[in-house]
Formats: sequence, C-alpha cells, structure tokens
Amino acid sequence: MYSRKVELLHGAGGLETFEVVSKLIVARVPDALRRAMNGRGVDVMDDGSYVKVGDSYLVFTSDSYTVNPIFFPGGDIGHLAASGVLNDLVVMGATPVAFMDNIVVEEGLDLDVLDRVVESMLRVLRENNVALIGGDFKVMPRGSVDKIVVSGFGIGVSSYEPIIDYPKVGDKVIVTGPIAEHGSTILAAQLGLLEENKGLKSDSRPLVKTVLPVIQKYRPYISAARDPTRGGLAGVLNEWVYGREVSIVVDRSEVPVRDEVRGFLEAMGVDPLNVASEGVAVLSVDASVADEVVRELARAGERDARIVGEVVEMPELKGRVVARTEVGGLVLVSSNPLNLPRIC
Amino acid sequence: MRAKKIVVVGLVQGVGFRPFIDRLARRLKVAGYVRNVGGSEVEIWVEGEEGVLEEFVKRLVSERPPPAFIEELRVEDVEPEGYSGFTIKPSGYDFKARSNIPPDLAMCHDCLLEVLNPEDRRYGYPFNSCAWCGPRFSMIYRVPYDRENTSMRKYQLCGECTLEYRDPENLRRYHAQGISCPRDGPRLLLLDRNGSVVDEKSPIETAAKLVEEGGIVAVKGVGGFHLAALATSDDVVAVLRARKRRPRKPFAVMGIDTVVLRRLVYITEEDEELLNSPQAPILLLPKREDTPVSPLVSPGLSHEGVFVAYTPLHYLLLRATRDKFLIMTSGNLSGEPMCKNEECAFRELKNVADYFLVHDREIVHRVDDSVVRKTNGRYVLLRRSRGYAPLWTRLPQKLRHNVVAFGGDLNNTIAVGFEDKVVVSPYVGDLDEVETVSELREYLDFLIASYRISREDMVVVSDKHPGYVSTALAREYSRETGARLVSVQHHLSHVLSVVGDHRLNGRVAGLAIDGLGWGDDGTIWGGEVIVVDAESGAYQRVASIRPVPLTGDMDTLRPLRVFAGLMTLRGYSEEELARVLRRIGVGEKESGELLLVRRLVEKGLYRPASSTGRLIDVVSAVLGVCRERSYDGEPAIRLEAEAFRGEYADPPEVTLYEENGVFRLDTWSYVEWVLDKIDEPRPVIARTFLESLGENLGRLLIRSTRGLGVGSEVVVSGGAAVNEFIVRGLERVVREEGLKLLLPSRVPPNDEGVSFGQVVYCLVSEDCG
Ligand SMILES: [Fe+3]
Ligand SMILES: [Mg+2]
Ligand SMILES: [Zn+2]
Ligand SMILES: [Zn+2]
Repeated sequence: MYSRKVELLHGAGGLETFEVVSKLIVARVPDALRRAMNGRGVDVMDDGSYVKVGDSYLVFTSDSYTVNPIFFPGGDIGHLAASGVLNDLVVMGATPVAFMDNIVVEEGLDLDVLDRVVESMLRVLRENNVALIGGDFKVMPRGSVDKIVVSGFGIGVSSYEPIIDYPKVGDKVIVTGPIAEHGSTILAAQLGLLEENKGLKSDSRPLVKTVLPVIQKYRPYISAARDPTRGGLAGVLNEWVYGREVSIVVDRSEVPVRDEVRGFLEAMGVDPLNVASEGVAVLSVDASVADEVVRELARAGERDARIVGEVVEMPELKGRVVARTEVGGLVLVSSNPLNLPRIC
Repeated sequence: MRAKKIVVVGLVQGVGFRPFIDRLARRLKVAGYVRNVGGSEVEIWVEGEEGVLEEFVKRLVSERPPPAFIEELRVEDVEPEGYSGFTIKPSGYDFKARSNIPPDLAMCHDCLLEVLNPEDRRYGYPFNSCAWCGPRFSMIYRVPYDRENTSMRKYQLCGECTLEYRDPENLRRYHAQGISCPRDGPRLLLLDRNGSVVDEKSPIETAAKLVEEGGIVAVKGVGGFHLAALATSDDVVAVLRARKRRPRKPFAVMGIDTVVLRRLVYITEEDEELLNSPQAPILLLPKREDTPVSPLVSPGLSHEGVFVAYTPLHYLLLRATRDKFLIMTSGNLSGEPMCKNEECAFRELKNVADYFLVHDREIVHRVDDSVVRKTNGRYVLLRRSRGYAPLWTRLPQKLRHNVVAFGGDLNNTIAVGFEDKVVVSPYVGDLDEVETVSELREYLDFLIASYRISREDMVVVSDKHPGYVSTALAREYSRETGARLVSVQHHLSHVLSVVGDHRLNGRVAGLAIDGLGWGDDGTIWGGEVIVVDAESGAYQRVASIRPVPLTGDMDTLRPLRVFAGLMTLRGYSEEELARVLRRIGVGEKESGELLLVRRLVEKGLYRPASSTGRLIDVVSAVLGVCRERSYDGEPAIRLEAEAFRGEYADPPEVTLYEENGVFRLDTWSYVEWVLDKIDEPRPVIARTFLESLGENLGRLLIRSTRGLGVGSEVVVSGGAAVNEFIVRGLERVVREEGLKLLLPSRVPPNDEGVSFGQVVYCLVSEDCG
C-alpha cells in the first residue's frame, strides 16, 4: 500500500492489517468459500468463525503469539496463548471446549523454559475445563525464529447464534476492567523499567468464568463483543464503526486505567487507548440493560467494569470514534497502533 | 478612427469594474461598450483616436477600482463599427464558465468617509460597504455572487439604495450586491452572557466603554467572532489568557489606522500599503521599544501582529476607546475553529467573554484573518484566508482531471483543481478536532458545488501519512465518489507548491524544511533536498539533515525529550545525560521523564526524523528559550525572536557525509556546540545557529544536486522556511553559487500550502492518470 515491502505497520492490528488481509487473502477466496455449513467465516472479520450443526453452533478461532520477553509479570507466552484463544471464543459468546497447540521453538532454547511455558498453557486449559485434543511441535534452526512461537486453535460451542460485531445506535459501550495493563507491562519489560514500575503487571487471564456467563445471560442484548488486544480499545472501537453510518463517543474520564499504568504511559508519551489488554472485553450492549450488565459483571468478579461510551448517529462523524474533552469539545480518537508521531 | 477589443481577466466582476470603465470611456470620449463575459472576464470595445485608446488602456490598469486585480489583459486591434457613445451592455452570460469567488474585502476609504460624515445618510453605520469593499465569500451561499445568493438577501433595499444600485453613474454602488444603509441593513445588539439585551441604541459606544473598564467583549465581525480586550493592561491580558486557556500564543492587535499602529511597531511604507490593502492582513512587525502594548500580548517575541480596522464596525468600536487599538483575537476555545454564529459563541465563549456585540447577518463561511510576515525582505503568507481565499491560482497548463486534494492534518487547507485553476480553501485548522473536520467537509462541498466538479473525472489526493485523519477522509471520499486515490509524499508537496506557484520547468532542486512528514522509507522527514522533474513529477530525495530520534507526539510538546534521545544515540550514559541535564538547568522531576526516553531510544523504540523543526526545538530547549511548546512552532518562533537581538558569530564546523546514496548534514554537531557555548549570550548563539544552519542547508542542497541537471532557480518551502535567519544564510550561499532562491508567494510555506502542492502533482504526474 505504501511501498512494496511488508512493514511492521501491516501487522499492527490497525486498519493497515485489515486492508492487507482483505486484499491479499480474502479477496482471492470465492464468495461461496468464505463460509461453510450455514455459518460465518472470512465474509466477516471477527474474533472467530462458526458453523451450524443441528440447533447449535461450533465456534473456531486461532491465533499466534510471539512476545518478548517470554516471561513477564502476570504471565508468560503459554499463559497468554491459552488465555487469548479462550477469550476469542468468550467474546463470540461460545463456551470453550477444546484446544490445539502449535509450538515452534528455536534451536538452543532451554528445555526448562519450554517446560514452564507448556505447563502454564495447560494449567489455563485445566482450570477452565478445556480439552487439549491435538497439536504440533517443531524446532527451527538458530536465528530463524525468535526463541518460541506458540499458536493456539480453539473450539467452542454455543446454543445461541455467536456474536458477529455490529454495534447498534443507542448501545452503551462497556469495558470489563482496567485497560492497557498487558501492553504497558511488556513495554516496561522491554525497556528494563520493571524495577522502577513495580505496579505494572500483565492482565493476561481467561474471561471464561467471569465475563462469559454474563454474555450468555444477556446474549440478545449484546450486539458486539471483542477483546482489545493489539491496537487497544481505540483499535476495537475504530474497527467497529469503520465504514459504517454510526459513530462511538467515548468519555475518556470513564475509561478505567490504573494509576500506575497511566503514570507510566504518560511518561512514555503513549495513549492508553492504543495499548493492549489481555484480560478485558469490550461489549456493545442495549442501553436498557447496560447498568444491569455492569452490576452482573461486578458480581461475577469484574469489579471495574464500566460504561465508557455509546454508539450514536452523527452524520458528519459517521464511521469515527470521538472522545469528549474536559472542556466539552470533541476530539477524534484514531487508532495508532505503532504510536506514530503526527504533529508537524 | 481606430478600434480595440480589450479582454480583462482576473478579479474584475463584483468589484465595480464596469461603472469604472463606463466613466473612463466617457471622460476620454471614446465610444463602444463594456460587458461581463464568462465567469471572470470583462470585455471592452472602444473606438477613438489611437492616442486616446492607448491612454484608455493605460488608465484602465492604473486607475482600476482598488480591489480589482488583473491576471491577464488582451488587447486586439479591430475594425471600427461606428459606435456612438458608450454603454454598459447586459452580461453575456455563459453558464459553463466558472467564476472566481470574490473574497472579503476591507472597508474602502470612501466608505469610511461616509461613515464619518455627519451629513451622510450612512453616518455611523457599522455595515457600510460598496462595490469596492465589504464581505463577499463569508456571506455567499452559492455562486454567482448575486444578492439573492448571499445572506444579504433578507435585507430589502430601500428606495435610495435602489436608486444607487441602478445608477450606472454611481461608481461604487451600481450593481453592488452587498450594499445597505441604516434604514434597511443588519442591526447591532449588545448582549450579556445570558443573552439579555444590554444596549440596542448605542451598542458600540457601550461595548467600547465595557472594554475600557477591563471587560472582554465577543464581537461578531465579517468572518467570525473576535474577542476584544484592552491591549495595554497586563491584568486584562492575563484574564483573557486564563479564560481562553492560551498561555503564551500571541494575540493580534487591531488599530484604528496605521497612524495609531506606528506607536506600537515599526512600519515601512511598503508595510503600510499592505496593512491598508483590501486584504488588510495581520502583519507581524518589529515592536517599538516604547510600545504601550502589554508584554503579555506576545510574550518573548520581537514582533507584534497588527492590523487595521477593516470594517466600519471595528473602526467605530476602536474610535470609541481611549487607546484606539485593542486585542482582537479569534473567538474560539484553544484548538477549535472560530465561532461564526451566536449559538457557538454562547456555548463556547460563555466563560471567556463578558459581553457579546452581535448582528443579525448570517456568516455563511467562517473566514479567519490572514497573517503575513516578512522573511529576508519578502512578504510570506502564514495564514491565507480573509482577502485572499478562495481566489484561484492559475497553473501554467491545464489539468487533465478534476483534482480534490485533502492537504495535511495540521494547519489544514483543502484544494480543488480544474481547468488551469487551483482553488485553495481558507484555513481549516487541525484535524483532530471534530469541529474542524466538519468545516473541511463544508468547504469541500461548497467548492465542489460552486465549481460543478464532476465525479466522473476526478482524482482524490492525500498525504502519504498512514495515520493522518486527512488521509482517511480522502480514502473515504474516493470510495464515496468512485474517484481514483493518489497519495503524495509530504515534502514533495511542499516543493511542488513552489514549483507550481512560480511556474518552473525542467528539473528543480527543492529544499523542504519542516516539522514532520511521512517519508517514503517509513521514517519521518522534515529537512530534505528533493529533485523533482517538473514535467513528470518523478522525484528523488538526494539529501537530508541527520535524523533525530522521535518516540512519539510528546516529543514535539517537550523538545528536551528529543535532546535526551539524541544524546543517547550519541553514546551518553545515563550518568552523563543526567549531568548534562543538570548543567542546563533541568529539574529532578523532568530528568526522570528524560531518562525514560533514554531507555526507549536505547531499545530502538523510536522513529528517526530528519526534521528541521525538531532540531530547532532542541536548540531552543537546550538554551532554555522554550522547553514546553504551547502553540504551533513556539520553540522556533521564540528562538528566532532571541536571534533578532544577537550578532552572527563563529559558527561550528558541520560535516557532510554520505549514507546509502543520500547526503546527510551532520546537524548533531550544533547540539554539542550549543552545550559548549551554554554560558555565552543566548541571542548570539541563537542567531549564529540559525544563520549557519541556513548556510549549511544551502551547501547541502548545492552539493547533493551537483551533476543532476537542475535549473538555476532553487526552491525552499516548509514551516521553517519563514525563519528570517535560516533564509538569510541559505540565500547568501545559494546566491554565491549563482542560483536564485524562490519561496512560495501565493500559498503559505507551512502545511497550509500542502494541498496546493498536491494538485500541482496531478498537473504533471502520470499517477493521476
Ligand atoms: Fe509540512
Ligand atoms: Mg466478537
Ligand atoms: Zn467601500
Ligand atoms: Zn438603504
């Protein structure tokens, strides 16, 4: 798009990723082969896909994980891979039942490291009653991969039609917990700043026991659900409204961000809305039950869940996410996954 | 007996041109006719003795109505047809021809005399105007410029005005669309912040009294609201700053005339002419040492932005004050566009203004005041709005397609190109504000409709920055219209804006010195030498200044962050950096943040930016001139102000090296040189740095374009191309080499000029099809 080479930006989870995937991959798949068995597939781009079997739905999702460092406060790459895949099923409204793994290791990695990563991945599966039904294991020559890549494939079931994100006007946007925890922790780790920022800890965790029951209970009222990983909250919201007639207004002061995270990101010059979470879901919920949903989430353990915005119709702002400022003005919230400087 | 057919092209309609020609013909006793043809032309036929006809043509040019300007004059000898007498013929209306949309024009001298003459029926009338002056673009709903297409349509002309309007002998009011008088024109009211009427009898005098007493009055003018306040009181200015949340950005000062302004600033004859021109821009002029203006009006700056009362309303208001000059700053909240209606004013300014002086004429288009400065003896536009926009600029040849260009994100303007014309919108603003985005769309829809730009043959142009809002808007617009989308590198647009402005041919060497723009290599550019083929648009970036590391937008707001990053790349350890920071007087708390930046850079979490703006910011911050940017360009502007008080001393050696086929100026040595000289007088360091940087940029340009077959006219543009000392140094070096330096003259060198450059790209490049 901007040059003939693949750039990091293309994989950052923003609009560029979306464009690359649509043009490079989806466009080449014939319409009829973009979905199967009365389900949805690459005809929509969501957290997962599904097929219909009898009266119920089988939901699938897959994801690859690379992270540096492999171990970080609050988790590790194995924990992250298992939680991430399960969360993708959760935000489709499906109960995770089975998991498959693909592990690629760089020659020379400590066996002990591998052992800990696998153990922590399996622990997440055990604790959530998810079966490991298969996988693959490979070793690559030194230098051809950065230590370890863990990919996961998840299968879930749902009796309701899974959630394909399409927020509707009037919906409230709910965030289930403080954002930007994971991304800021990884950034601090990479900068060697964990010592000075002891309050930072990744939120990597499955949402199966807390968020899933609430999603399932209020399924008819939920028009969209997503976990704000790469690209953060700003990325999810922008994707939701992109190319549509609706807009989302965010009240910045309502978005939960812990003080330690806010302080650290401010010094880094990074907007928390652009930073990844690994234990949070964003929901677009019918206004009539929004407060109830927040209360239910709190009861289930997500005590910081909060309404942070709403889906509105503003013709001149269609397809955009905006934030209200303290003085009452409206400012655009763009997705800026790589924190590119813009000021001239 | 001879005859001539004369065609005059330019801004010659709606400015009293035909009655002027009619009178001139009668005076010289020539026969024939005058009529409007097409959208922007007047056709004249004259018969008489050869000498008289020549005199006619000469005086046509020299005595033309003040706001008229002539782009092209075609005189052709024809066979006499035996006309007796001279007539104004009905317009040869050609519906296909597009016309120039006239801009708002400052009050003319004759209108002022009427307002000041107790015998005149327009005595004291704040909305007096004529064919030579008054609002145009700000009140036009649609073209052509006829009264029923403007917000004057609701004011029914009275009998006397109607007679004036129909009288061809009446030079200034014959067919003047915007005229009115106290009996039939708009009404003024003075309201308090609750919207209750304070005064309707003598609102101006009361408003003036309230301002005298230290109040802040929002004044609805021609293109939007101003805030009027005493310029001589520190207390008042401080209150205005606090309420507007505008800590240091300069306020403009409006004077009743140039006589009064001479007490504030130094004005040359040429400056006076510009201040009193129909454009009446804000002009930045050197402050007098004994200026009565509060230093808080433009803190830390050597120049004051001044302009004259350009409507009778402003004139009468200023006349009723003791000072005869006032702060007259745009009525908006920091960052948002200026209000143009009462609803916005009462919403946004309720905590800023104490009173509101309003009238009932609708402002259709917001029009900001234009701003002009002088750089190395030449006027440069900093903001092109009132008086200039949306007049078109002619290109050397025809565009192959209609072009819609979205500009950049900051200081945005958009531009529409068709035939051989480019219409650049007035100043739009920064696109992170939602209000600004809506304004952009309004201007766009207006220009598209006015010029009947068809979607069938349209190209949409955007910047290459993937994160720009303007890029997203362009993408959406191209999807909406089905038009082809083309993106142009930011600094190429800057260079092309000058190429198009000066109609250059062949291969051109260009220097873009700027803040930040997205580069072709995924890094950020802003100090580039670009060679462009003015025939094909093919370009090559041959040199740049050495990049500084940028970790995010915060670096622009706090330039010491860039300094910390730069010293990190320079190999400074944490302790060394901490020591340097202490030495330049950085406190413990700030140092903490800067040491974090050091980590980011160490880990490679930055983008290289060959930005001249950021380099200047670093020097400004290290010197302690400006460490927090509160407005666009502040560190650089204040460094320049500092330099005005210093001499050019010994500059450092700055080397030139080559890296992957690109020449680099090792600008980092400046930073170490500044650290070395930190105890010497700041003005000298500032001056020497800026002027030497200019010289070295000149050397870089010459060295890197040697042997590339470029012409002898070289161009410079970008936000830093208005800096007095950079341009002085640059011009000196370039001239020694026998080259001529060109700056943009019809568009601002800053990002307001990007949209124009984008259209020029489509003039030449195959990319646009
Ligand atoms: Fe620029
Ligand atoms: Mg979903
Ligand atoms: Zn006049
Ligand atoms: Zn009248």
